[in-house]
Amino acid sequence: MAKLAVAMILAGGQGARLGVLTKKIAKPAVPFGSRYRIIDFPLSNCVNSGIETVGVLSQYQPLALNTYVGNGHPWDLDRHNAGAYILPPYQKTGKSDWYKGTANAIYQNKDFLDDCDPKYVVILSGDHIYKMDYAEMIEAHIRKGADATLAVIEVPWAEASRFGILNTKDDDIITEFVEKPAKPESNLASMGVYVFTWEVLRKALIEDEENPDSNNDFGMNIVPMLLASGKKLCAFRFSGYWKDVGTIASLWETNMDILDKPEDINLIDRSWKIYSRNPVKPSHFIGNDAKVVSSALTDGCRIHGTVIHSVLSDSVIVEKGAVVKDCVLFPGVVVKSGANIERCVVDFGTVIGENVKAGPSVTGEGPYTNHKICSEGIVVFERGLKIKANSTIPGNSMVDSDVQTTEEENVIEEIFRV
Amino acid sequence: MFTSVMGLIVADNKKITLGELTSPRALSAVPFAGRYRIVDFVLSNMVNTGIKNVGVLTYNKYKSLMDHLGTGSPWSLDRKNDGLHILPPYVNSEATNVSGDEELAGIIDFLRTSRTDYVIVASSNVVLNSNFNAFIKSHQESGADISVMYNRDGNKAGSPCYILDTDDDGFVCDMLYNPEKATSNKCSLGIILLRRDMMIDIIAKMMAHGTSHFGIHSIVKMFDEFKVHAYEYTGTALRINSVQTYFNASMALLDGNVRDNLFWSGESVYTKIKDEAPTLYFESSEVSNSMISDGCRIYGNVENSIIFRGVTISKNTTVKNCVIMQGAHISENCNLENVILDKNAFVRPGVRLVGHPSYPIVIGKGAGI
Repeated sequence: MAKLAVAMILAGGQGARLGVLTKKIAKPAVPFGSRYRIIDFPLSNCVNSGIETVGVLSQYQPLALNTYVGNGHPWDLDRHNAGAYILPPYQKTGKSDWYKGTANAIYQNKDFLDDCDPKYVVILSGDHIYKMDYAEMIEAHIRKGADATLAVIEVPWAEASRFGILNTKDDDIITEFVEKPAKPESNLASMGVYVFTWEVLRKALIEDEENPDSNNDFGMNIVPMLLASGKKLCAFRFSGYWKDVGTIASLWETNMDILDKPEDINLIDRSWKIYSRNPVKPSHFIGNDAKVVSSALTDGCRIHGTVIHSVLSDSVIVEKGAVVKDCVLFPGVVVKSGANIERCVVDFGTVIGENVKAGPSVTGEGPYTNHKICSEGIVVFERGLKIKANSTIPGNSMVDSDVQTTEEENVIEEIFRV
Repeated sequence: MFTSVMGLIVADNKKITLGELTSPRALSAVPFAGRYRIVDFVLSNMVNTGIKNVGVLTYNKYKSLMDHLGTGSPWSLDRKNDGLHILPPYVNSEATNVSGDEELAGIIDFLRTSRTDYVIVASSNVVLNSNFNAFIKSHQESGADISVMYNRDGNKAGSPCYILDTDDDGFVCDMLYNPEKATSNKCSLGIILLRRDMMIDIIAKMMAHGTSHFGIHSIVKMFDEFKVHAYEYTGTALRINSVQTYFNASMALLDGNVRDNLFWSGESVYTKIKDEAPTLYFESSEVSNSMISDGCRIYGNVENSIIFRGVTISKNTTVKNCVIMQGAHISENCNLENVILDKNAFVRPGVRLVGHPSYPIVIGKGAGI
């Protein structure tokens, strides 16, 4: 059955820069913004844009992601002849492959796309927070008679060398794609949102697959290949809120944006709702001794302590006398009385013991100090840990059960399944 | 749980009105506890018992109930076989003047299409969270024809109240309606269990006798004819049968034990999903002892209150001992105390509304103050 457009969400990457947060789950399934998961944004954008066939390409730790997306019902993606399709790599006669790169992941699902028989394919990644009407982008693609359209966002010139930059000529026709240029010629960064005419992409994917030297990546291989073969690639300018949440610091900052600049992502906007799977919990409760300011909370939270400038997912418990400041707490986290945590990102169900002190105000370094994953004084806790009472954990630490420590320095009392 | 049971919910009660709260909707569709409707509790209890076939009996004003229940998907009742059935008054295609037994005809038809052994019939003015497994087991062990659930609220439960007298073996020997002097403190919770074929016989007999209205307690009243066993429920049960008891039940939610019993005892209470954003507390907010739902924006003071989804409470505004329903907007410099504000009400700046705990002010749906 022919469709106008089908979206494919690349959700198979590990997201290694999120450290322990992606130890057990794929990055798109990581909680964000109190009641969402990262993948809710591209999924909701698809539905709000009128795209009703969405392939979710999963590979790394797919259980949580597959369970979360399920039959697509929360996004109205449980439909006849359309809906959400989980597309894992699969066994084939002769040879079997994991997804080698982003382009290869789509290549391996070309049968799926051929069955859908779309005119256009929208390629999305599962690690950005933004609200975008893909229909407008597809319209621009059609209007300009492009073979491929890449969404771009203007970034500050000083930061341009951190992005994949597109150089363009008149009418936003792309002339060159440069990954992290030392001397950027433009400040138009690729957002990792592509619209391809399926016929063109299909041919390019087959050609790319035949090249043994290719990394089978959209940015690195497919786009340069199309440019070299004289195809028309256009840039589509996006000016709304867009954040990559690929690192601990950016995940934390983007969560804080909900509190500091609520109008930017505007989650309350009824014309462009972000849908999510519901936790089925009662309304949250703020106790007599509680203080909650400048924070975002959702169902099932029970607050008896102090919560300042923090983003809490469902069913978080903050006991009396505990202080939570500038934190991002994932579902089911418990902060015991007397604990004082600041700039902490705490994964599913972890229990912060009595009088634990964690954050940048704790000075020095410890066995969990990790400058590779953590920056800006942020402390990350793995899921399902009971942190010993009275522990102190300095900023830029990642509390990981795989870290070898002395008995004395070990802050983990217990590891449990969540 | 391999006993096959179906459910029948009586979604409205002609004896109970909650003033403006029930003028646009059936009793069971009255919003409660921040994100629920009263019917969610009994419906979830049935689903948590493993019941897969539920009929919801309505008389009139069922639009809001139908909007809420939809296909039954939040309760996992959107099924190919069985599932959720809304039973409006049953009218034959040609009948223009109603014959009076539409209600019973609808019930008997629904009962006949099912294949279960038992049926649980429940009213929708009691909020409790428990599956019915123990109730079913007790029924089977008692050898009774019919079982009725009660608790010991006595005649302080408010009207309508059915006080049960039982013999030494726990069988009902008398039932009194709103007695001035109660002979026992056993007050029916309006939940009964009996064999489906027996229920069909009873309804058929009622129709043959020209009865037009179905009432759960007209079945309990048959204690002379059938063995009616009384089963005591000891958990939290909040009865809603007047504006006052609605307000009291809402305020009871601020008690930690009540909340634990209703929401954290292990069984989930399902409701329609609204996909609201998380609630944002701004720097100026001051909130204590309150239950707050998603999608709110809190700038002002909230104390001892139940706040539903999507409510805005502006700066320099105090909301105390209030029930503020979905989508209400309370502007700056307001003071609300002992007020029940129905859905989408709009309170303009500087308004002061103070009711008494024994007589809360009710502001109707969509009102502008």
